[in-house]
Amino acid sequence: MTWDGTGARGTGSIDAGTGAFRGLEYSQPVRIGKGKEGKTSPEELLAAAHAGCFAMSLASELRNEEARLAVTALVVMDEVEGRGHLIRESQVRVRARVPGLAQTAFEETVQVAHEGCSFSRLLEDADAKVTIDAELEASDGN
Amino acid sequence: MATERTASVTWRGSLMDGEGTIDSVTSGVLSSLEVDWLNRSEDPQGKTSPEELIAAAHAACFAMALSHALAQAGSAPDRLETSATVTFVPGTGITSSKLTVHGSVQGIDADRFRELAEGAKNDCPVSSALTGNVELSLEAELVGAAQSA
Repeated sequence: MTWDGTGARGTGSIDAGTGAFRGLEYSQPVRIGKGKEGKTSPEELLAAAHAGCFAMSLASELRNEEARLAVTALVVMDEVEGRGHLIRESQVRVRARVPGLAQTAFEETVQVAHEGCSFSRLLEDADAKVTIDAELEASDGN
Repeated sequence: MATERTASVTWRGSLMDGEGTIDSVTSGVLSSLEVDWLNRSEDPQGKTSPEELIAAAHAACFAMALSHALAQAGSAPDRLETSATVTFVPGTGITSSKLTVHGSVQGIDADRFRELAEGAKNDCPVSSALTGNVELSLEAELVGAAQSA
């Protein structure tokens, strides 16, 4: 990770230890603006981490080789008076295809997965709101 | 103004035998990044993990906070090299994040640099999100630039 220049005008670059990604650019205007200039931000990386964490937690609880999960996390950062910028919210949206699973069992499993997702725990302990919107979609052939 | 960032992941199969991909993010810079449990919980074989992404988020957040603090103190950095090492314990979660920074900064002494780095470690939004369960540590060193404060 490198940073050149001031917070407002500088730019940084991120490399992953595993080599899975490298040379990702990020900057403050992109972070607090629209994020559409092809640069990432800490909040975007947290969103990717939370979606990945939740997907793995749900897969762990479902124990179903045929499961297909589409998980999206939307992370909201905002300024709080006297406390600066904080992560305020992460909205997780799940669309799942799980052959043979009933709706009530799915809902219970989602709740267990939420409680078991370590990153959901961290955010809630830091007073960020975590919401889960989960929907079981019809599996092929049903 | 609140800012929003989205990331989407697809997962196929069970945890142990299945695999996932980070398909897209708001900025478009990440796509088709593979994730799986073995790479997450044991030695990584070139795949990323939620904890690696949190490490990237933390190092980037810290670098931005410190660059801002240095600029406000009249010594905008020439360059900051930061890293975050996040420790994940399966079954427990994230237990620590260790930040390091090597800064090339004109017109500031090592003590003041460390003081501002400590403040950035405590105040950056990602640190705030980790506070409570995660041990945060910092190693800050001034390198390269003339220490002429």
